[in-house]
Amino acid sequence: MPAERREGMDHPHHEWSPISTRAKLSWPDDAKVALCVIVTLEHTEWKPPEDSFSADQAGGLGVRPFPDYPRFSHREYGHRVGIFRVLDVLDRLGIKATVAMDSQTAEGYPYLVKHCLGRGCEIIAHGISGSQMISGNMSTAEEAEFIRSAVDVLKKATGTAPKGWFGTDYGESERTPALLAQAGIDYLCDWVNDEQPYPMKDGLFSLPAMLEMDDLFTMSNRRVTIDRYAQSIKDGFDVMHRDGAKNGRLLVINLHPWLVGQPFRIGYLEDALSHIMGHEGVWAATGSGIIDWYRDNRP
Amino acid sequence: MSLPPHRVDYSPIIERPPIKWPNGERVALWIAPNVEHYEYMPVQYGPRDPWPRTPYPDVQQYSYRDYGNRVGFWRMLEVLDQYKIRACVSLNLAVLEHFPEIRDAMVDRDWDYMSHGIYNTRYLYAYTEAEEREFYRDNIATLKRQTGKQLKGMLGPAISGTERTPDLMSEAGLIYHTDWMHDDQPVPINVQSGKLVSVPYSIELNDSPLFRVNYEADYFADICKRQFDQLYKEGAESGRVMCIALHPFLIGQPHRIKYLDEILRHITSHDGIWYTTADEIADYYIENYYDQAVIHAQQFKA
Repeated sequence: MPAERREGMDHPHHEWSPISTRAKLSWPDDAKVALCVIVTLEHTEWKPPEDSFSADQAGGLGVRPFPDYPRFSHREYGHRVGIFRVLDVLDRLGIKATVAMDSQTAEGYPYLVKHCLGRGCEIIAHGISGSQMISGNMSTAEEAEFIRSAVDVLKKATGTAPKGWFGTDYGESERTPALLAQAGIDYLCDWVNDEQPYPMKDGLFSLPAMLEMDDLFTMSNRRVTIDRYAQSIKDGFDVMHRDGAKNGRLLVINLHPWLVGQPFRIGYLEDALSHIMGHEGVWAATGSGIIDWYRDNRP
Repeated sequence: MSLPPHRVDYSPIIERPPIKWPNGERVALWIAPNVEHYEYMPVQYGPRDPWPRTPYPDVQQYSYRDYGNRVGFWRMLEVLDQYKIRACVSLNLAVLEHFPEIRDAMVDRDWDYMSHGIYNTRYLYAYTEAEEREFYRDNIATLKRQTGKQLKGMLGPAISGTERTPDLMSEAGLIYHTDWMHDDQPVPINVQSGKLVSVPYSIELNDSPLFRVNYEADYFADICKRQFDQLYKEGAESGRVMCIALHPFLIGQPHRIKYLDEILRHITSHDGIWYTTADEIADYYIENYYDQAVIHAQQFKA
């Protein structure tokens, strides 16, 4: 449906709210910036279902005909090697990761589930695999089943129902927020439109990722180099830290271990995150930690 | 025989009579923030798909642009205010209706507006003549109703158009079109009635094509400064136009904003700049140079 020309958004999922008019959001200990690092663990399927949809072009040499050894294995690098480098960096800096895990990873890599839980990570739902995203092509029944299965598998694998959802490739239909709320999800990371959390309909909250701080978007899609990406993280943080004195800011950085966990990249990530954690007034927290605070303390 | 589309007569810049800006300035500088709204569930009309990444909606790309209105616009505004820039907005007119705080911020600063269509997801390509006439009527009425200003020009919605666009714009009373990337000065556009000019916009000094790929804001700052330095030099002989095109969802990102400051600090450290808008450039050019330019170009006809 084309937009109707009237005040507010042209969809029902959240209200229009320019940041300039909002009352001050205060973080714990009056932090200026809340930092949430999402580590995305997604399994790239050897042979995705023929009727599934994916916008993902990343890894190997782009998408090639089946069997695509380089792409499959490039992505697999994250599960085998990259994840441990990334988590080591986060541990050294005192950042608890929020791990967005798809259900094929949860079922196929029990070691990783145990490992992430053992390191105190929060695990949030991330669909079924890196090769299938939710799209407007799905029927309501298909989408509800997709979400139910992703949530149920994660609950079984981790012992707890996931509170957060991060769509594979930020994929949604018009129904997704409502279906997620029905599935018991508290917060959603797909809407990249803000520097604060905000309420969505049906009791759901938005924990907006910063798209430009997403390593895959910036380095794989846009082809920005790692040194420049790290510089952008530092530059961006500096301004959010300045602006956060007036009204608390949220910086959600989404990382893919197969990409930023490569040996030549990891040092730049550590340098950028060290820059952030070297400042006063930074609250590093998990997605749930941030949303729980926001729910109780929002202005 | 001149070549299609026969809209702009060839006129080599080195042969033209010099242009003098109102107070002898070298460069007419205008800053064009693109204040836009993209629809969540657009209807594709014509050959271009507004959201080609996925079936609709594309929440990633939709919300990325919405960031511009919720956050980026306000951060950009702080820098423009600091340098007292009166911008000329490339405006999706429905923004005035959807987001009144943005409208009020622009009206309070007495900015000028060129139309950038109603939504950035409604392209002109497939419009019939009647639809396009109605489109201009709507554009003009909406701007007048929401801001009190008379619409003078257009950058087509997402820079789209039809072959009739210049004729129909001029017929509707508009005087400038900024879809033409062909010159460093305004030039007349041939239309069936009235007077229409192109005012140089930029698809080069433009954060959108740059940041869609692997350029970053330090590079943007560098090319803007170099562009200014070169035009400033040439502008001693004959006035030049320089436009910097911005998109709040891109330049308003926290990691980019300091580079906008760097650009404006460099430019404003010079004298001899006409800080202006496309509205004013078009008015001034039509008043002082349009007729002469039409006659002058005759000698270069093939």
